[in-house]
Amino acid sequence: MTTTPGLDVVTLLPALIPLAGVVIVLVADLVVPRFRGFPYALAALASLGAAGAAVPGVVGGAGAVRETFCMTGGWFAFGPGPGAPSYSQAQAATECLWRAGTLGSSLQLGAGLAAAVCLALAWPSVRGRSAEVSREPVEAVLFLTALTGTVVVAASRDLGTWLVALELATLPVIALVALSGTRAALAGAMQLLVTSLVSFALLAVGAALWFLATGAPFFSRDAALAAGHVSQGGTALAAGQQPSVALLSLSLVLILAGLGFKLSLVPFHAWTPTAYACSTPAVATFLATVSKVGALAALLVVVQALAALSTPGLIAVAVLAAASMTLGNLMALRQDDVVRLLAWSTVAQAGWVVLPLVSVSPLGQRSAAIYLLTYVAATLVAFAVVARTVREVGSRGLSTAAYGGLWKRSPWRAGALALALTSLAGLPPGVIGLVGKVVALRPVIVEGWVWLAVIAAGNAVLGVAVYLRWLRPVVNPSEAEAAAAGEPAGPGVSPTGRRLAITMALVGSALVLLVVSVQPQLLLGLFGS
Amino acid sequence: MAVTILVLIPLVAAIVLFAMAPSATADRLVALVASIGAAVLAIVVSALRLDVDVMWIRSLGIRWHLAPDGVSIALILLTALLTVGVVLHTLHGPPPQGGSRSTLLGCVLLVEAGALGTFLARDALLFFVAFEVVLVPMWVLIRRFGDHHRTDAVRADAAGRFIFFTVLGSTLMLIGILFLVYHQGTSDLDVLAAAHADRLSHGLQVAIAALLLTGLGIKVPLWPLHTWLPAAHTIAPTAGSVLLAAVLLKMGTYGIVRLAVANVPAGVATLSPVLAILGVVGVIWGGLACLVERDLKRLVAYSSVAHMGFVALALASGSHTGLQAALFGNIAHGIVAALLFLVVGDLKEQWGSADLAVARASLRDSAPRFGVPLVFGFAAALGLPGLVSFWGEFLALYAAWSPAPGRPVALLRACVVVGAVGLAIAAGYALRVLRIVWAGEGGNPAATPVRDLRGVRRGLIVTLVGAMVVLGVGPQLLLHLSDLDAAGVLGAVRR
Repeated sequence: MTTTPGLDVVTLLPALIPLAGVVIVLVADLVVPRFRGFPYALAALASLGAAGAAVPGVVGGAGAVRETFCMTGGWFAFGPGPGAPSYSQAQAATECLWRAGTLGSSLQLGAGLAAAVCLALAWPSVRGRSAEVSREPVEAVLFLTALTGTVVVAASRDLGTWLVALELATLPVIALVALSGTRAALAGAMQLLVTSLVSFALLAVGAALWFLATGAPFFSRDAALAAGHVSQGGTALAAGQQPSVALLSLSLVLILAGLGFKLSLVPFHAWTPTAYACSTPAVATFLATVSKVGALAALLVVVQALAALSTPGLIAVAVLAAASMTLGNLMALRQDDVVRLLAWSTVAQAGWVVLPLVSVSPLGQRSAAIYLLTYVAATLVAFAVVARTVREVGSRGLSTAAYGGLWKRSPWRAGALALALTSLAGLPPGVIGLVGKVVALRPVIVEGWVWLAVIAAGNAVLGVAVYLRWLRPVVNPSEAEAAAAGEPAGPGVSPTGRRLAITMALVGSALVLLVVSVQPQLLLGLFGS
Repeated sequence: MAVTILVLIPLVAAIVLFAMAPSATADRLVALVASIGAAVLAIVVSALRLDVDVMWIRSLGIRWHLAPDGVSIALILLTALLTVGVVLHTLHGPPPQGGSRSTLLGCVLLVEAGALGTFLARDALLFFVAFEVVLVPMWVLIRRFGDHHRTDAVRADAAGRFIFFTVLGSTLMLIGILFLVYHQGTSDLDVLAAAHADRLSHGLQVAIAALLLTGLGIKVPLWPLHTWLPAAHTIAPTAGSVLLAAVLLKMGTYGIVRLAVANVPAGVATLSPVLAILGVVGVIWGGLACLVERDLKRLVAYSSVAHMGFVALALASGSHTGLQAALFGNIAHGIVAALLFLVVGDLKEQWGSADLAVARASLRDSAPRFGVPLVFGFAAALGLPGLVSFWGEFLALYAAWSPAPGRPVALLRACVVVGAVGLAIAAGYALRVLRIVWAGEGGNPAATPVRDLRGVRRGLIVTLVGAMVVLGVGPQLLLHLSDLDAAGVLGAVRR
């Protein structure tokens, strides 16, 4: 290490604002503990602030990279083999610990906005606060910390920050699930915890192997090249070189498996339906949106480094994508509980998200990020409708039957739900979902993987079946469904409960979805053209 | 600009209609103004050949490029004018079962918007987006407004088949388009057509053509991918059936011309034997099914399969005459199928079912205004000279008999012979229907007669019969329109 890292506070704002929000929420809770909604309002503002702080990195254009904590000169390194250009020799340029390109900044922006929506959905239904527990500030703080982790992981470049940030994005969510307090919630939180630990173990070993293979503690192009050089270095030292490439591949497989848990890819998906179903709609929304942004951002950090090697498509990614899509859709077809349906839909959509990564190219990375954001936007709207309905009619709002005749009772909400579901299914009027499909399939075509494209086509049909199962009662209720939906709310529900925040979140997210459906370029343009 | 407005009018009107309260009465005004406005604008756009070309999604290079040309004008006019007819028909009938009239009209207009966009699009990916627009409204039409004499499960089956088959088809088409666009570097259909895929290897051309033909073949529908059509037609309300037969199926054949024939000609040439064989198998299959089918609506649907088989045969010939025959056959089938579905739909509305085995009073005696158009419709279906279908089918057989150089002449001629047999079968089933329904053979003269056609609905039917006769007597009206641009589609390959 030859120079001291430079520090650029403005660049770090996307991470600093939610952290400041955490402090302010806790302080405010000490000062004015009376208002239940106050912590959520502050936290939502902090999320929006984080999103706003990410905007300069987005609009800067494709080439603009915001980086800080930069150090010039070589890192310590041990050469992978005698004679091979070790990392420290190959590396004379600057290495930055925080590096947010348009891709990372766009994901930070998406995470910030999604977190704000989740906080609005978590808004308490009654004014005033019960004396014994003070859940609200805790919940708000947990949401914000998880968001911070997500924001940081998107910009992290060194193994340590990457691992810590990834866990920072995960652990608070486990606490959020557990906070519901029911027995089922504790079971779900426990399952999530175990899953996260396994995932972390895999990631830690994967990161260690990466260090071993490249000799550098960075996920950077140069580091990958250092390992790559060894493989291309010639035959003379073959015996000493092969392990390096093998190590790199092994490290990638482990990292992919670890992130597979967080992305809910089959076969690492088992926790998803349980965790979603036992948590509140707001926490389920967070799991389905912000957590997925964090997981993909982490994956993209690794893939970006790998792109320098110009490796051919990854067969492992193709298999995971095909399996996730197929199993997710098939299981979603059997669900009558909308949250479970959305959980399995997450599994299927995760397959679509990693599908473009069969091409380890900037095109593949961009396409994955674009598809993820279209999925996040549509899922937010769907969950907002669910949260609004649950607030209105209680847990009965979790069954698809509760949406019978929604078109007649509340055309605007039904319209938002229809837009969200058609976007997820990839049919107009959800044009953005359709464009997402085009975007996701393009890298597959470029790599020439016809069999994968045909599997994806089959899954497009299955996906339509899944989402139409929910949409059908909305536009065409059977008599029983119409009767069931018209029943008065069950006990324990306050129909007069406050819904303003949820409604605002629903309107806001639906507007975003509508605007990007009319002009998809607004979303696609985030990633440069 | 005017072209964009043409697509936006039905789209905006549809949104207004969806947002309307079920009890509102303004739906009549909105639907009429929108459909008539769109029809007038469609005529203006077609006559002046107005176009629009701006960037829509820069990242994907998708342009908002809409322009009519000789190949598409007839279809644009058919879509716009027929929508007016469907709206009028819906407004002058009993309130729809299953939902509010405004929702039904909204779905009709949304289908119109998608179809107009499809026919106008000059960008392959924009074509795909517009192609998908019609799916959800048509699904709602079948699922919600479908035949309420049947159980909910039957409606679910029909609507499900429709959407799953067509989504599979369009996604396969999308994969084909993406391959084409990636290898050619542009999605502009004009540029793609001008390039004629000269730079692509033969194998790649065949692969792209196979994907496109399979995907679009589901929509056409080509045998054996047609199994969704009879179910959808039988269940759909009259408005849905008319749009399905006259507009949606045309999107399939138009897509084959616009995407496959124009852009990967060599690939289509290689696959033309398959196309021809599937076409004539469809002709025979549809005809034989019609000979024994008991449900009148399902029978008309099977006859659609047969007619589209002739269009496929014409496309397989690869000659200029063949392409002209395909385009003409498209319009001819659009008019005839619209007429037949209107008449049969109205009859079914009054009969309660369309079962031919039920003994009823003959139309000839009890309701001649229903009877005469039915005779005209089935006379056209059997290809009687002087009516519009004759030219489509005659030219198709003629073109396939002397195909473009390089095509398998012997096989195509064998297909022509089989196709001619198909025409004989068509005569058989057309006369069977007329014998039972029109002449009242084996009927029950004492049965309650249907109320005869009156007012606007009668005017609609008379107009369609008039169009059938006019285009049957003067086919050059249409052939002239598409002559130049059809040659352009085939381009340098062969005239």
